[in-house]
Amino acid sequence: MTANPALVESPTVELDDASKWFGQKVAVSNVTCSFGPGVTGLLGPNGAGKTTMLRMLTGLIRPSQGSVRVLGVWPRTSPSVYADVGLVPEEAAVYPSLTAREYVRYAATLSGIADVAEATDRAIDTVGLGGPADRKLAGYSKGMRQRAKVAAALVSDPQILLLDEPLNGTDPVQRLHLINLFQRLGAEGRTLIVSSHILDEVDRMSDRVIAIVDGRLAAAGDVAAIREAMTDIPYRVRIESDTGRVLAARLLEEALVHGVSVDDRILLVETSDLAALGRRVPAVAREVDARITSFQPEDASLESVFRYLVRR
Amino acid sequence: MRAAWAITSTTVKQLLGVRRMIVFGLAELAPAGVFLLMTQTLAEEAALDRLLGMVAALYFPLLVPIVTLIVAASALGDERRDGTLSFLVLRPIPRSVVALSKSAGAVIVAAGLNALGALALSAVYAVETGSWSMVVPLVVGGVVASVVYAALFVPLGFFTDRAVLAGLAFVFIFENSVVSALSGLSSLSPWRIGLSAFAGLAPGEVATELADFGAASLSGSGAALFRTVLIAAISVGATTMVLRRRDLA
Repeated sequence: MTANPALVESPTVELDDASKWFGQKVAVSNVTCSFGPGVTGLLGPNGAGKTTMLRMLTGLIRPSQGSVRVLGVWPRTSPSVYADVGLVPEEAAVYPSLTAREYVRYAATLSGIADVAEATDRAIDTVGLGGPADRKLAGYSKGMRQRAKVAAALVSDPQILLLDEPLNGTDPVQRLHLINLFQRLGAEGRTLIVSSHILDEVDRMSDRVIAIVDGRLAAAGDVAAIREAMTDIPYRVRIESDTGRVLAARLLEEALVHGVSVDDRILLVETSDLAALGRRVPAVAREVDARITSFQPEDASLESVFRYLVRR
Repeated sequence: MRAAWAITSTTVKQLLGVRRMIVFGLAELAPAGVFLLMTQTLAEEAALDRLLGMVAALYFPLLVPIVTLIVAASALGDERRDGTLSFLVLRPIPRSVVALSKSAGAVIVAAGLNALGALALSAVYAVETGSWSMVVPLVVGGVVASVVYAALFVPLGFFTDRAVLAGLAFVFIFENSVVSALSGLSSLSPWRIGLSAFAGLAPGEVATELADFGAASLSGSGAALFRTVLIAAISVGATTMVLRRRDLA
């Protein structure tokens, strides 16, 4: 591991002080981070700069400042690198007059695949689009189009996959299938960068999160590490006990407890050290003869972490 | 080569919508229909004069540019608008292949449609006169004009959503007004380049007769073909450069 959580040890994709502005509007500002094998969630609210960042990574747009490297090169000037890169864009990006099979075959041909038919069938099977693959994309639902786009991105068996809101429009079954697929591809050692504003999706599929807020890198690492780094915001823990007020009074004597609010049997405890509190609470409960029925960190989830990041 | 063919053939497929083909097909046959009517109503006029009237007043200055404009502006413009451009350019192929193949697809469709119009016109002429001598010159002239227009309108469609409006302004304001008034600029007019190719290949009296239709400064087929190749090469080069340098999303 490197000291900076935004950087990885064996990067395949790198941004170095990259910024992009469109006229007066700054879309991405001085972002330095890197991505390596596994699934990295690119998290941010709508308009945070995720799509601009992904477009810079593919070379579709050039950074106004700083640099971008994919497998060591700037893709725009080294198009051969695209043999190892697949993009699933957020927008429609399909040809309605083609069938899904023709669309994936087109992608395979443009990617210089030797056995186009075999690669096409494999990609279509991978996303579970077998049956309707010979229907025109014009008649596809949004979720099916998403799967066709994923198949087209996968057909060249790329080492790097950039996915911009890939689960948009998918139903729960399709969603689960794609999440499993992305996790499997990440486990195979590919670099997957998955942009999403849906926390649950990112939480389920990512090993690592890069959070972008207002075009800036807000946090990087795994969710627990990001939360741990927020030393200015105490953890909130929800404790249920049969003797709420007694336990609250005793907990307030502990140095690691910054505050307690009580509502009958439920305590909301604020602490700077979640792990230490977890170790201390059973002993304190025994002292005051209280029975703890629940100990639940309230804001260690990705959702809470993200809420803090956006609020900052 | 395989990628170039795939892009070209897919572009042709995209541009050949059923509705579009019906409308353009009928439009291409319209001058032949008018020509046919004229054989009934203006029988005293020489068939060649009537043909050249249709060619110099309707086919080259109106039909060829409008059909080619709509077809060519869609070739790359639709890819940009529909967000499919990333599908094409994020591939391990040079951008020049993308530019050349998209242009080739537009040329095939536009030239095919315009060749249909030329064939129909020259066929009516042949039925009337028994001479098929106008078929090849008119088809070549139509194809040449299509190539030059496509060379202008493919990049135009990429640059602006209002390509059709800008193209119509070019055709009606620049070509059909400014160039008509200043004949020295005729080498910049695509339909006049096509007309030159036609006049250069057609039987000798055609060039003389065309002067009566305000086409006095025609350059001949060799010069027309040279200009066509030059303009097409510049267009593909410029489109390639734009695809390489410009932000594409």
